[in-house]
Amino acid sequence: MHQQAQLRLKKDAVEKLGAQTYVVIALDTYRTRIFKEENWLLGGGKGPFGKEKSIVFATPLSDPAGHASAIYGVSRRALRWGSWVENYPHWYVIDQKGNITYVLKPTFATPTAYQDDVDKVIKELEKAAK
Amino acid sequence: MKRTVLTACLLVVPLTSRSEEPRSPIEIYRKLEYPPKDENFEKGWKDRVAADYDVINSADLKSLRAALKDGDPFVRAIAAYALGVRSDKTSADTLAELVKNDKEYVVRIRAVEALALLKMKPEVIESAKKDPDPGVPFVAKLVAGQLKSETDYAAEIRQAYKAGIDRGAMGSAVVGKPAPDFTVLTVEGKPFQLSSVLGKKPIAIYFTAFDG
Repeated sequence: MHQQAQLRLKKDAVEKLGAQTYVVIALDTYRTRIFKEENWLLGGGKGPFGKEKSIVFATPLSDPAGHASAIYGVSRRALRWGSWVENYPHWYVIDQKGNITYVLKPTFATPTAYQDDVDKVIKELEKAAK
Repeated sequence: MKRTVLTACLLVVPLTSRSEEPRSPIEIYRKLEYPPKDENFEKGWKDRVAADYDVINSADLKSLRAALKDGDPFVRAIAAYALGVRSDKTSADTLAELVKNDKEYVVRIRAVEALALLKMKPEVIESAKKDPDPGVPFVAKLVAGQLKSETDYAAEIRQAYKAGIDRGAMGSAVVGKPAPDFTVLTVEGKPFQLSSVLGKKPIAIYFTAFDG
């Protein structure tokens, strides 16, 4: 969720590149909509996203059977909330020819690792835009 | 000599045949080499995906209902979820019992999800909001709104599973290669095909879990 919130902070850079951003979760459309519209996880806290109602800038997409997630190799690899169909987070960057140019598997090694992760993705989007 | 060989064959053939009998989706799931546990994140995920599809798509309802009482919590969990997706309203009482009394939170969560998909037992989902394990109240709050919705989310999930999955295509997204196409849903429930936006602008896709 921090990754999405951080991307939202950087939305000007993304828009300047004319890039499209999507976030895919392996849940039904109801829960995907909640993910997009309500700040359940970071809201109310003292962090930089605590007062935001919605923190997702990317277009949310629902993958109810985890099909796309399995094609991209991230499915059924995380036991989150006991729901083992969920995805292990991964970023994919695709260039203007439709080729994958970059994959990032966030490590969540530090509390603010998401900042570097999103910077790397934007850097790769810049390359992909050329 | 011939009689000895023939006798041996008669003894072996039935045993061999029995061992080659196709196993049910629940049985295959129960015997996964790498069940869905933390230590197996990087191993056997394709088998887990395939087994999950088989259980949702083709396990018979009788075996799913029986699996709600299985000794393996992951089997109880997948059976609970599958019965919700399959809209098996006759399982509502048993699912409610699991929400209230199952020792494993992974099962209680899946049973809550199933009841929400069935749009039944709102009082049980309400009580799950007070479950001592934080994951259960989180999911109970998350799915509670489905009870009031007119959308049939179980049908939406069934439809997505119905398309099946090509094992050879799993994990085929590789740097330097064309991005594999996929079809998912917008939050309005409309199909979105990746190929409709490929080759136009640079794209970043983040695959994630609800809390990731």
